[in-house]
Amino acid sequence: MGNRRALSLTVKINLIIVIALAVGIGAALGALATSLISAYNRKTQQGVFENANILFTAIESVMIPGQAPLAVTTLANVSIRTPGTFISLYRRDGTLAFSDNKTIETVNANLNMRRFQPQDRPVSAPATPPKRFMESAQTPPNELFFRDDVGGRAFFHAYRPLINLPKCTVCHGADHTVRGVIDIRTDISDDVRTTSLALAGTGAGFVIVVGLLALVIGSFLRNVVLDPVQSIGKLCMDVTAGHFEGRVNLRTRDEIGNLARTVNTMVEGLHERFELTKYVSAGTIGSLRAGQEPRRVKRILFFTDVRGFTSYTEKHGPEQVVVVLNRILDEQSRIIHECGGDIDKFVGDEVFAVFTGDDGARRSCRAALAIVGLCASKAEEFDNLNVGIGITDGMVIHGMVGSARRADFTMIGDPVNTASRLCSLAKGGQILVSTTMRNAAVPEFSFAGPYSAKLKGKVEPQKVWFLRAESGRKS
Amino acid sequence: MKRGCLVLIALAVLFGACAKKEERVYATPDYPTWRKTTDTVLDYPIPGHMDRLRVPRMNAIGFSVAPTLVGGKLHWDFPEGTVIVKEVYARPKPAPGEGPIQLTIMVKAPKDPRSQGGWLWLTRDLPDGKEQVFMGNYCVTCHSNANEGHPYFDRNQNLEFRDYVYFVPLDAAARAR
Repeated sequence: MGNRRALSLTVKINLIIVIALAVGIGAALGALATSLISAYNRKTQQGVFENANILFTAIESVMIPGQAPLAVTTLANVSIRTPGTFISLYRRDGTLAFSDNKTIETVNANLNMRRFQPQDRPVSAPATPPKRFMESAQTPPNELFFRDDVGGRAFFHAYRPLINLPKCTVCHGADHTVRGVIDIRTDISDDVRTTSLALAGTGAGFVIVVGLLALVIGSFLRNVVLDPVQSIGKLCMDVTAGHFEGRVNLRTRDEIGNLARTVNTMVEGLHERFELTKYVSAGTIGSLRAGQEPRRVKRILFFTDVRGFTSYTEKHGPEQVVVVLNRILDEQSRIIHECGGDIDKFVGDEVFAVFTGDDGARRSCRAALAIVGLCASKAEEFDNLNVGIGITDGMVIHGMVGSARRADFTMIGDPVNTASRLCSLAKGGQILVSTTMRNAAVPEFSFAGPYSAKLKGKVEPQKVWFLRAESGRKS
Repeated sequence: MKRGCLVLIALAVLFGACAKKEERVYATPDYPTWRKTTDTVLDYPIPGHMDRLRVPRMNAIGFSVAPTLVGGKLHWDFPEGTVIVKEVYARPKPAPGEGPIQLTIMVKAPKDPRSQGGWLWLTRDLPDGKEQVFMGNYCVTCHSNANEGHPYFDRNQNLEFRDYVYFVPLDAAARAR
């Protein structure tokens, strides 16, 4: 059930077109073809029927008492001169007339004289009466007109009963009403074939027309609607995946073209905004999504600062300064993100990051150790620059700070200042944390201290701790 | 109320349209009082009726026929409205009081689209009593022999056109001559 493959829009539209054409044109064409073929069949049938009437009248007129041979000759001549028409005269018992001397003998007996001489004729009477014969030969007799298909050919039969008229009773006796039945058989195979060919031709034409129309309309729709829509869809998917380079290349001035241009403009805007998000912290973005109301939250405040950077800038060119600083900041940024932290802002060579969650203390300590370790291992790459790190935790106010024109979503509060001061106090390679932070991180991490330190802005000396290493690992 | 009346009218029109048209009866109840067309006892076998006794009667309109002389021969044209009823009995000699089993009826109605040779050919099966027009050409074909030589009555030796009637009133023929 769930594995049903969804049909694409192209397939659906083509299906609708084909079905609509098949049903619409098919119904009209079918009705027309049926009507024409029905009219043709009716005309054929009527023609055969009228022909049979004429023939019957002609035959009846030569059925003169005592002139049976004339009738036989007439039947034979009509059959010979009218290709496709076969005339047979059957006795009322279904045997073929004139096939033997039975009638002559009956007539001679009724006349009580040998009026007619028996003929030497081969016996060729059919073994059984022809189809539906008895329906016609019964009393009262019936004229029948029906179609019979035999051996791949189609025939119309016109059964015309020959009534035993009073004038005939002298020779044939008065003990029966029907003397026989004339079967006027017309081969209509050619007409049937013509009709079938016309029907097949119409059907084939219909299929070709529907196919061509479906092809043309489908192609038109694909070019005008489907392909542009698919291009727009693909661009949207690319944008969703973070790729903003693509554009819909459509120059038409219709609604789809307008849509494409609008989407292109929208993607450009999204691209710009996406680029801007690099300069904004994830916390800020999250706050924007959640609402811009300030709120009090518990956070771990994480500050790093490159030691000796001011004198480094004085000794080196600006390009090198920027390259090395970016290298250091980039590595710090990577480590902080890998440890689940969020960089709130860069202030010169300083990084202000925030960690949240129950294991925020552990992750922030791990990030600090990794940064210090990296600076040590990449001292040459970083031109021997190293960082000092200060970490503390506590309740801060998270909100929009600034003016209506330019503002930052950032943290304010005493823990922010404390962390910044701890960072200022830490020398290159040192990680200074507050007591609350240290308490939250032990025993997973080992600390040295406490030490009493005078922090700027604090009246009383503060207890501070050096983060040494993760427990079980050498510093 | 108005809607109900409309529905009733519609139903009445519908039933009126669907109602079976009452068939006219040509062999009226007084037909047994009509004159026979022949005094001959028709109990000999003929095609169609075999040896069943036939008793043909014709209404007064039929007996008012006035044949005309055309080319020295009488030409019979029975007046419109002529009805000939032929009683057909089950046997050649029915028992006293035994009624016919069938009536075959000829009605001169040349304007009727169902007519053949100017006649309507009907049968009334008894005791069912319904008259039905026979649409085949069986009757007219057989009776067409009345217009040429045949073995019955006066055999029509003069080959007169007798309007499909085998037993024409000879007194009318005498008047015409």
